[in-house]
Amino acid sequence: MKSINRRQFMKGSIASAAFTAFPQGKALGANEKVIMGVMGLGGRGTYLAETFAQRPDVEIAYLSDTNTRRFARAREAVEEAQGKRTKLVQDFRKILEDRNVDVLINATPDHWHGLGTIMACQAGKDVYVEKPMSHNIWEGRKMVEAARKYKRVVQVGMQTRSSAYSKKAKQYIESGKMGDIYLVRVFNMMQHAMQNDAPNQPVPEGFDYDMWCGPAPKLPYNPSRRWLNQWEYSCGPIPGDAIHQLDIARYLLNDMPYPKSVSHAGGVNALRDGRETPDTQFATFDYGRLTLLLESALWTPYMKKTPGNVRDSDSFPNWPFSSTKVEILGTKGFMHFSRHGGGWQAFDSECELMRSEFGRQGDKEHKDNFIDCIRTRKKPNADVEMGHQSALLCHMANISYRVGNKQLEFDPQTESFTNCDEANKYLKRKYREPWVVPDIV
Amino acid sequence: MSHRVLLSLSIVAVFCNCACSKRLEISNINIKQEPTELGGPKTIIEYDIEDTNISPQSPAYVFIRYSKDKSNWRLITKDCLRGNGFDIVEKPGHKQVVWWGTEQTSFTEFDKVDIRLRGIRMIRVPAGKFIMKSLPGGGRDESKDLTPSSDIPLFYMAKYETSIIMYADYLNEIGAEGAGWNQRMTNTDRCGIIRKSDNTYSVEPGRENYPITYISWYDAMNFLQWCGLRLPTEAEFEKALRGGLFLDGDQAKKDPNPMPERRYPWGDEATNANGVFRCNYDGPEDGFEYTAPVGSYDIFSSPYGICDLAGNVAEWTLDWYSTSYHTGLDGFRMVRGGSWMAVPVACDAITGATQLPLKESSIMGFRPAK
Repeated sequence: MKSINRRQFMKGSIASAAFTAFPQGKALGANEKVIMGVMGLGGRGTYLAETFAQRPDVEIAYLSDTNTRRFARAREAVEEAQGKRTKLVQDFRKILEDRNVDVLINATPDHWHGLGTIMACQAGKDVYVEKPMSHNIWEGRKMVEAARKYKRVVQVGMQTRSSAYSKKAKQYIESGKMGDIYLVRVFNMMQHAMQNDAPNQPVPEGFDYDMWCGPAPKLPYNPSRRWLNQWEYSCGPIPGDAIHQLDIARYLLNDMPYPKSVSHAGGVNALRDGRETPDTQFATFDYGRLTLLLESALWTPYMKKTPGNVRDSDSFPNWPFSSTKVEILGTKGFMHFSRHGGGWQAFDSECELMRSEFGRQGDKEHKDNFIDCIRTRKKPNADVEMGHQSALLCHMANISYRVGNKQLEFDPQTESFTNCDEANKYLKRKYREPWVVPDIV
Repeated sequence: MSHRVLLSLSIVAVFCNCACSKRLEISNINIKQEPTELGGPKTIIEYDIEDTNISPQSPAYVFIRYSKDKSNWRLITKDCLRGNGFDIVEKPGHKQVVWWGTEQTSFTEFDKVDIRLRGIRMIRVPAGKFIMKSLPGGGRDESKDLTPSSDIPLFYMAKYETSIIMYADYLNEIGAEGAGWNQRMTNTDRCGIIRKSDNTYSVEPGRENYPITYISWYDAMNFLQWCGLRLPTEAEFEKALRGGLFLDGDQAKKDPNPMPERRYPWGDEATNANGVFRCNYDGPEDGFEYTAPVGSYDIFSSPYGICDLAGNVAEWTLDWYSTSYHTGLDGFRMVRGGSWMAVPVACDAITGATQLPLKESSIMGFRPAK
């Protein structure tokens, strides 16, 4: 690949150019608190800010959101948790400018995950980024490259990997008691509401909509049009949640590498409200001697996520109606695995129970692992490469849908499709200046 | 059978939502039993409510609770009462309520019963159309071409946010086991209810009229069940703040709302226009670093006279966050009105926030509706 000098790089990306002037991060002392800034104060970002702030080894120094209306809820939660004030900024680059900050927590919509993470790596920050890690396949690879180049710890919010029961399930499968595994079924059966139909709106005071759009096109502001349902901002609500199960399926099977091909069926079958992203997705990933199925929908009220009284308790979900289960099918045994600490059960060829493990959610362990890796510089449980590999499945399924549900063959070396030029147009988004992910991170 | 006055003392709790001048006082309580033709006695509760501000537009909500053992208290439902002194009371003066008993009380044991009366100052919001600009799920619709067609029936909303003294009164009646109270409520800057070793509750002196905080959605619902009320919906909150197209309702239509699309309860002026602070929002410049006593900005109340719908504490509503939900899980509830920690624009008529119903926060409280 043609090399690019620093001057060319800075010219090619205003955002990165502005950013490269930021000071590099400091070295973290063994007993020092990890100083964090949080980018994105929606429900998940606020939860992460609060729960990190509750740790004695962490201080949340900044909260950032393009919408100032979101400040109060997160600020109150953080200041109550840590007993110390936190700074509020609309522009997350203020966090990157502060060399005392060690970590950026990126809990933005999907379209900001990539650039936010890359800029943070360039600024010498470690990153906790929410799933799905990237908006597109090319961007995911750039995130990996940035993390490696700048020697950053990048943990992706796929916390089921850090649960003890997940590790036991993996060990059980590795023990051979399930036989050879040839089929895995991943479910994500949810219930979403229809979008409302309302005209475009003036941008409310206190909301930096231009920055919210960031790398994505600046479409007319319309809050009724949910960002989750638009390709420019999202991978879609199904992949946004199903990635947890897809990732744990990969984890249980030793982080199996790239599939050879993907094919997709489905579309917007039920929720015909103008959304772009499908409400029904059935994807088949061909791994050679292993087939991975994703079965997902947004209109199935009888399918339930692991109920609150099952999470973190010695009980199992009602498996037939478990909306977020993974089924592992081996030649000798069958395993139900439930996300959210729902546990797992394995059955033999006579349908007799072979082994059960109750589950506990892995949120705390995932944070423990992240903090530990910040200090040891080891790769975290949900390292950026794992995040990329799992998000890639979502992108592949979406691209198959977007080119007419064609079967697409995938080349892992180039991370592109070999039998469909049209599909390759979706490998990378068009970035809006100045928020451009550079070719060389 | 001759008339007899109950042996036990009836106790009157007076709610003081804000300054002393705004107290809703119930006095001269007299409780007696009389025989009936059916054989058992009826209980007659008489009292005076002298507040001249009580009117059909600003009535008192009076509720009555009883106990046979001084520890387990029950609300007397309005189905068991007759008279002019319970539920919505629209005029001051002498009141009489007849209680016909309930299936939980036997008339022969009546001389052992304690009775408590309490009142909450409410505001009447008449039925009629208003302009609803918020959208389900926290969105907002500020377009000019939206047809104002939202229509909700008559409801009542508390004039003030639920105060610490009101909530402590509730705790002292029901809270011996600590239900409804949490340690954070001892924070004297942001709340101020102390739980004592004998399982009673006291209010930090001076904090009586501040709004209750650190209260979960479930705590709020339990309080409201205790007094026979409910939380307002988002639509009710927005109408209460902005007013209907006609402030006297669509039946009368004699009092058009001069600003039916107003941004804040007082109009469209900024929260600090001309150096006058109109609500309690982020920062101490408005006179309050944390919460303010309820009604502190009463001249900037809503067109109906409801106080603190902007700022001070954000308020729980009855509504779920409805954009994306997962059945069977503990979903988000909507919170309205901005808070002492919110930027000014977040105190407007439209902004909603989501909170998990178990959240106990220093920026959130509630007020009753009926």
